[in-house]
Amino acid sequence: MQNQIAQLREEIEREIAAVTNQQQLEEFRIKFLSRKGLIASLFDNLRNVPGVDKPIVGKQLNELRQRAQSVLDEKILQLKSKPKSAEHLDLTLPGRRKFRGTKHPLMQTLDEIKSIFVGMGFGIADGPEIEDDWHNFSALNFAPDHPARDMQDTFFVKGDILLRTHTSPVQIRIMENNKPPIRTIMPGRVYRNEAVSSRSLCNFYQVEGLAVDKGITFSELKGTLLSFARQFYGKDIKYRFRPSFFPFTEPSAEMDITCFICKGKGCRMCKQSGWLEILGCGMVDPNVFTSVGYDPEQYTGYAFGMGIERTAALLYGVDDIRLFYENDVRFLRQF
Amino acid sequence: MQLSHNWLQHYIKFKFTPEELSEKLTMLGLEVESYERLGEKYNGFVVGKVLETEKHPNADKLTVCKVDVGKETLQIVCGAPNVAAGQTVAVGIAGAVVPKNQHDPNGKPFTLSNVKLRGVDSFGMICSQYELDLGTDKDGILILDSKAKVGQSLASYLGLDDIVYEIGITPNRPDLLSHFGVAREIGILVKKQPSLPKVRLKESKTPISKLFSVKVIDKVNCPRFAVRMIRGVKIAPSPEWLQKALQSVGLRPRNNVVDVTNYVMYECGHPMHAFDYANLKGKKIVVRQAGLDSESRSRKKFVTLDGKEHELAADVVMVCDGEREVSVAGIMGGENSEISDSTTDIVLEAAYWNPSSIRRTAKALGIQSDASYRFERGADPNAPLYALDRAAQLILELAGGELLKGRIDIYPKKIKEKIVSVRTSRCNEVLGTSLTTPHVTDLLRRLEIKKVKGSKDVTFFSVPTYRVDLDREIDLIEEVARVFGYNNIESKTISSIDFDHPFGKEILSDRIREKLVGFGYQEALSISLQSEATAKLGSPTPIALLNPLGQEMSTMRTTLIPGLLEAAARNQSYGSNDLQLFEIGHVFSESAEGQLVGSVMEEERMVLLVSGQIEPGYWQGEPRKANIFFLKGEVSDLLDACGLDSWRFIYYSTSETLADNPIFVEINGSSAGFLGKVKEDVCKMFGFEGDAFVAELKLPLLESQRVKEYKTLPRFPVVRRDVAFVVDAAVSAEAIEQCMKGGGSSLLRAVDVFDVYAGPNLPDGKKSVAFTLSLLSDEKTLMEQEIETEVRRIVKRVEQQLGAELRSN
Ligand SMILES: [Zn+2]
Repeated sequence: MQNQIAQLREEIEREIAAVTNQQQLEEFRIKFLSRKGLIASLFDNLRNVPGVDKPIVGKQLNELRQRAQSVLDEKILQLKSKPKSAEHLDLTLPGRRKFRGTKHPLMQTLDEIKSIFVGMGFGIADGPEIEDDWHNFSALNFAPDHPARDMQDTFFVKGDILLRTHTSPVQIRIMENNKPPIRTIMPGRVYRNEAVSSRSLCNFYQVEGLAVDKGITFSELKGTLLSFARQFYGKDIKYRFRPSFFPFTEPSAEMDITCFICKGKGCRMCKQSGWLEILGCGMVDPNVFTSVGYDPEQYTGYAFGMGIERTAALLYGVDDIRLFYENDVRFLRQF
Repeated sequence: MQLSHNWLQHYIKFKFTPEELSEKLTMLGLEVESYERLGEKYNGFVVGKVLETEKHPNADKLTVCKVDVGKETLQIVCGAPNVAAGQTVAVGIAGAVVPKNQHDPNGKPFTLSNVKLRGVDSFGMICSQYELDLGTDKDGILILDSKAKVGQSLASYLGLDDIVYEIGITPNRPDLLSHFGVAREIGILVKKQPSLPKVRLKESKTPISKLFSVKVIDKVNCPRFAVRMIRGVKIAPSPEWLQKALQSVGLRPRNNVVDVTNYVMYECGHPMHAFDYANLKGKKIVVRQAGLDSESRSRKKFVTLDGKEHELAADVVMVCDGEREVSVAGIMGGENSEISDSTTDIVLEAAYWNPSSIRRTAKALGIQSDASYRFERGADPNAPLYALDRAAQLILELAGGELLKGRIDIYPKKIKEKIVSVRTSRCNEVLGTSLTTPHVTDLLRRLEIKKVKGSKDVTFFSVPTYRVDLDREIDLIEEVARVFGYNNIESKTISSIDFDHPFGKEILSDRIREKLVGFGYQEALSISLQSEATAKLGSPTPIALLNPLGQEMSTMRTTLIPGLLEAAARNQSYGSNDLQLFEIGHVFSESAEGQLVGSVMEEERMVLLVSGQIEPGYWQGEPRKANIFFLKGEVSDLLDACGLDSWRFIYYSTSETLADNPIFVEINGSSAGFLGKVKEDVCKMFGFEGDAFVAELKLPLLESQRVKEYKTLPRFPVVRRDVAFVVDAAVSAEAIEQCMKGGGSSLLRAVDVFDVYAGPNLPDGKKSVAFTLSLLSDEKTLMEQEIETEVRRIVKRVEQQLGAELRSN
């Protein structure tokens, strides 16, 4: 019995040294360590060993089993740490991927604008796209029968219901439902009855801004929008504010920055002027405050608005804004 | 509006280059959109004289000419049959761009260069009328006036040394719709006042009142009506200066009388009209509303001088003679009284009309004329007399005739200059400036807004009547800012920011957008306007537009699904078949009254669309394809990610949705939308091929109401046991799951399907469904026996209630 044990020990040492792969390892385990393996059968023979020898032989058998197990474990580790090239693993094969999604470029542009204004203490609000005449026009100081209404070709639904032509009605809704101070931007979709072309669409996104408080000035409007423009278009832009007309603001202005495409030399994007119009703005007209029940003597405020399609088109160099609504993934995934 | 540089110089002298003037006017709020040097296209063309000609040695049809172009004499080979020595001609010199190529079918321009023609050098080109884009004559060269100065530029010979500005005038500034009006603004720049030409008239002894009368019945809409009368005019084409002036602002010359009325309008801004006296019955004018036809009691018909017939609403204000309508007041004259070649006696009208009446009528009749454009914005009620006199002066000069003595001027209530007060303190409060009262007064004075009286802070100003936009203090504050210069106002950010504002900084749609992008979805945006047929897919009562762009865009979208189907179909056509798209947007439908706006139900939704493979092709194994369970999983993940309190799927059969077998989603007890495979005929409508799976949910319901609160973690390990049942194929997995949950105690925490099987080894009509049960106690580690008991109880219930059979493994 003890001879057999000694022989088996030698055999174990010899065979484990020859093991080089998983299959041989498994064969080794079955041969020596499985339930019907050689060590188990020696354990089976233990009952034939005379009583006095049993404890010793038993101990030797246990040691043998432990030895076999430990060389096996060692070998497992050894095989695991072997370089994979041994198994011809081609690491140049591509990894398993998923489809990648992106936000729509218009939403990315809007996000950037939102985060700048949120950083300057503005909140975000929205309102309905189908509006009534009061919120879209009358409360915003568009007199009935005034040609100013022609500035915005309107889709009508019925009666005094229409598709909002700008996000400015949200200003009215906000002021109707809140007391000053107000400082918020209002992004959203608006509609104009204009033929679809590379430069105009029947629906588009705008973002509107409104600040109302005591002591707000035109100077502050300029400062705020300049800060926005520097954050959005770059620190070294040149800018100008020029007089314009919107019924709901007075004084009204348009803000231009130097064309970042041609650096002010004149190109197609800036119609050779060297300037890009980026937004319209102005001081809230006292009539608007009266419409919403604010005292225009007590409060002043400013409002501004810009078109997202135009902004995104300038930013990304898109020359046909219809692309934004065609949803061609080859286009969308570029952003 | 178009304005001529030379014309502006009649009223104010300035030395700005067109670039400078454009920039300065733009900064005053008159946006110069572009300007054109009229003569620019004739750069490199000069007036030349043909000194001698000889036949080309190698070509019969060519002539070799010596042409004097002032500085030098050029040899030019010319192919025109009519060229001859002594002619004054238009010569293009190398580098000049010939506006129209006679040999190109489309007449494309080309650039001249020095060439050899059949062996003879040619240093330029003698041009035809067609080549210069001055007419259609291609048959020979254009012969110029023999007295023209040789060597002068062709542009100046043609009188084209002018610059035309295209200026966008905002609707609040009708006073700028003339050369004199813009000259006033230039006056601010050069600190001078412009002036209109002085008018001196020679009147005859016959007073106008002897031959003509005016009666204004509708005094509300016609606050002023003035006329003058000239007898014995000779209608003829206008002289060249007048034709050129009108052409430079885009008007077509007609005859000397009509041209003068247009000229005066572009000069001082006041529209005028000339009637043929012979056609004014009863020798009078009556201003009244049209009324109805006296016999038929229907709307009267009226032909305007553009030859179009209009039906007149009864309240349209008309200029009439003793019997009939002769002009749509302030909008357009009638054919029945227009100036013709045989006209000899004319009545000149200059009136002031109520702007909103003009606008209503112009809109209703669909006419926009130069006159209506100005009157609906607001003309100067005190300009008519100057306009009349100025027009009379020019007509006498150009068409002769006898000006009757005096004017008829019906102006019962004089419209005076408005008095508007400005507080200097308020001005500074709005603008953020620190202007003084004298400074404010000085700035406004440059606009002829004059101080009437004033105390320390408050100054009263009189506002000229042509400034219809200035009524209130804020209007004058804007003028102060404009003249002061917007760019001279400091840019500051000083006011206190209220950080405690009630407006959210983050909106739900943004959070959902972030999540979906993270899930691998591509955001799409579709137009909200659809055809009625498309809109009806989502609601039986869509919202239609009264004035749509066309049938295809006549209705508001009622569901976001068609937009994505259209997008998917378009992408398919480009070979992009594997799509995971989403859109967030508003949908609309007619609902009961009492909505936020009228009876419009407006709702924000999100939609997912998946089609094709759901992962890129891979070298290990087949990529998975989209199916309903993939989308169901995505929706489940999204709803979980939203942190909703409770949500579930509901299954019932309906044909109401766009999907074949929709699965409905309920969130916190409210129905939130559905998901499913889009019906084949709907796919076909949009040209989409294959299977598209969509989910559309009401966005506001995805807002989590859950209060986040910590619960103690379980201290003991979870135990899992697998069981499989053989049941009738009709028994749903959900039914088994519910049954198991009903049978389990508080130890049963979760039931998850891990296998479904039907086929060999199972009887027909049976299936096997396998579940993993997760068991957990909060008090202790579960003993084998407790687990056994729990599982046995659960199994027994399923066996009893669903006729299931536990499958032995
Ligand atoms: Zn540019």
